Amino acid sequence: MNCEYVKENAVLLVYGDLADDARFEMERHVERCAACAAEVGAVRHLQDTMNTALLPEPTPNLLASSRMRLQEALEHVEHRKGWQRFFTFDVANWLYQARMAPAMVAALLIVGFLGGALTTWRIKPGADGNGGIFKSNPPQPAAEATIAGIRSINPDPADQNKVQINYDTVTRQQAQGSLSDPQIQKLLLFAAHSNVNPGVRNDVADLLTSQVADQQARDALIYGLRYDNNTGVRLKAIEALKPYVKQDVHVRDAVVEAVLNDASPGVRTEAILALDPVKADNSVRRVLMDLAERDHNDYIRRKAQDMLNQTPTIE
Amino acid sequence: MAEQQLSRLDDAALIRESQRGNRAAFEELVRHYDQAVLRLAMHITGSDTEAQDVYQDAFLKAYRNIGSFRFECSFYTWIYRIVTNLCLDSLRKKQVRKEDSATQVDSQGETYDVLDQVADGRPGADPERDLMRRELGATIARALDRLTPRERMVFELKHYQGLKLRTIGEMLNTTEETAKNTLFRATQKLRGSLATMR
Repeated sequence: MNCEYVKENAVLLVYGDLADDARFEMERHVERCAACAAEVGAVRHLQDTMNTALLPEPTPNLLASSRMRLQEALEHVEHRKGWQRFFTFDVANWLYQARMAPAMVAALLIVGFLGGALTTWRIKPGADGNGGIFKSNPPQPAAEATIAGIRSINPDPADQNKVQINYDTVTRQQAQGSLSDPQIQKLLLFAAHSNVNPGVRNDVADLLTSQVADQQARDALIYGLRYDNNTGVRLKAIEALKPYVKQDVHVRDAVVEAVLNDASPGVRTEAILALDPVKADNSVRRVLMDLAERDHNDYIRRKAQDMLNQTPTIE
Repeated sequence: MAEQQLSRLDDAALIRESQRGNRAAFEELVRHYDQAVLRLAMHITGSDTEAQDVYQDAFLKAYRNIGSFRFECSFYTWIYRIVTNLCLDSLRKKQVRKEDSATQVDSQGETYDVLDQVADGRPGADPERDLMRRELGATIARALDRLTPRERMVFELKHYQGLKLRTIGEMLNTTEETAKNTLFRATQKLRGSLATMR
């Protein structure tokens, strides 16, 4: 360890980017060497000085408007991709391939036929006398299993009349257990993100409310508040998240976004009320002031103003 | 640690969903990082409008290229690599235009001083101290402006974002040693510029 090394690495010592042994040696050297102590002191002074200049932080308004802009742009990207796919589809090549591959054409016809047959007929495994077309994992009867998709189709090179099809099925299952059971929790979180049945999501929101202390449950409720297209689910999410608006910054952000962007005035009103514990925060006050001045909805403007009126004035 | 691992697991699932074309998953992924991205862009560009542009370009680029993400680094490193490149471009353009860095244009098209954006949260702060703070801020802003774009970026990532030099090297497609040398030059220049304040 020499003074040149210390001069070159003082900045790493101050910013905590030195390996433990190097740091230990350098600290010992600095204790003995006044010049190196001054060098390290100068870097520390620089660090302190730079900390006094607080740089601008993004406001929730700016963040929310950036997110909205991005969402719009992402929609355009998707549309463009869709059209590109349409225009780049080479019909001539596809027809050429189809003409040159009669086995594949036959296979596609068979798949169409089988797809229809399998979804409407009850299939008995092994009904086919010579081993059947299902060589592995015979499917569940159609009444209990639904075909989710075809994975692959392999025409038999030796016999043009035979084809091997790999497909997935969906079967209904039942799970029963305590709310603290990880498997049950996993299913609940899946249901919260599932967009199929709003009634189920509503029930899940109820159950997650009792688990809101758990981070994953809270994340699922935040997801519901942001993305669920059912107003009832979003209202339940706000109700459940309300106690965490002060201690969890993600909850606060999601509620502020709901205040600014939610399509339902009811949800926005509830979101404004949920901000009560943080109404004195600078950023929240700014959002409320914006709403009180500019929002197109009279009621929201009044609610925001009411909330501001209850906020203690800060000089 | 466990939370970080959980977040990585979440990220991996969201990335895979995004790669399958699930836009909601990508938007959720964006929310994990967009505040940090916007903060970095604001620090570097000093402007709401430019920061929003960097934010937008970065995530659109990520969305278009998410299919090529191979989990060789964290998503955090990957998105920061995109953002730092865009910020470096912005800094280089700014140096060419030789703009006055302290005066910026906001989203409404009005000019403002970057330092005016720093709220003084202290109740009853006295005007004299406030003025001194502003002067100090202006001196620091000028000192930062004298750095090259790369030095500015390395200093930002180290001092304000608290990243390790190895990570900074990965983000800037360079070695840890080069990042260290750049940080050394940046701090030497800043010390020179701010020497009169001691």
